[in-house]
Amino acid sequence: MTTTRVPMERKVLSENDRLAADLRARFRDNGVFCLNLISSPGSGKTSLLERTLAAFDPGRRVAVLTGDIQTDCDAVRLARFGFPVKQITTAGCCHLDGRMIERALADWDLAAIDLLFIENVGNLVCPTSYDLGEHAKVVTLSVTEGEEKPLKYPGIFFKAELMLLNKIDLLPYVPFNVDMARRNAETVHPGIQILEISCTTGQGVDAWLQWIEARSVSSRAASS
Amino acid sequence: MHELGIAGSVLEAVRERASRESARIVRVGVRIGPLAGVDRNSLSFCFDAMVKGSEFEPLTLEVEDGASDELALTFLDLEDS
Repeated sequence: MTTTRVPMERKVLSENDRLAADLRARFRDNGVFCLNLISSPGSGKTSLLERTLAAFDPGRRVAVLTGDIQTDCDAVRLARFGFPVKQITTAGCCHLDGRMIERALADWDLAAIDLLFIENVGNLVCPTSYDLGEHAKVVTLSVTEGEEKPLKYPGIFFKAELMLLNKIDLLPYVPFNVDMARRNAETVHPGIQILEISCTTGQGVDAWLQWIEARSVSSRAASS
Repeated sequence: MHELGIAGSVLEAVRERASRESARIVRVGVRIGPLAGVDRNSLSFCFDAMVKGSEFEPLTLEVEDGASDELALTFLDLEDS
């Protein structure tokens, strides 16, 4: 009996990467700018989207896919703004993958969408591994979670282009060191962009909206 | 706990290769970087649980440390009987 070792250099998630590449091509062909929003549960992803959608003109061609393990609570919250919103219920799965996005988009006309938000399942670990064809990952960290999160969950802070430091209206009430949080994020990801916001008071939301506009313009310029 | 899904993806790759091989696949190698967000012990646990009692027996998993966010299949050991 002989054993032969066959080298096999390929990504474990090559099937998801193939789906993500298809999605990326469809986004490019239809002029869709897509952001993948990731955070732990309760950091404020849905509140951020509420603030964001509320700021847009009714004619804005924006849409949202929102992922949760159970319930359509988030989709109900976000549908109030009049833009297309679809809930993806993962039934136990801790992240969204390329196949779920492909299915969710099947009956949407991408040519009618300029800006697509994907609100991932609340989780700082698993969504990190699954490319959804997005232009950028945005991680939200709230001041009630502790400034060491970037060091504890380096993967997502390494892959996110932007970190939103949310709930800064609570800074007077919680022991959170903003400088240390920024340093920790920059240790894991030198050059990560950081914005401080409060979805309760609206502080910093304008800077977030400007970031979206600037980033979508640069992605269009890069793909044309 | 997406290690179950990762283990499933590893087994899918093995299955796909096995369909083209006459020899039995007895070991598969995976390399995991520190930023991949995958726990090696959890992956091994899920992998062994999925293999047990399945068509893949007696397949085993070998995990080595990789760089950055790498999550790669590295080798297959084929056994000629």
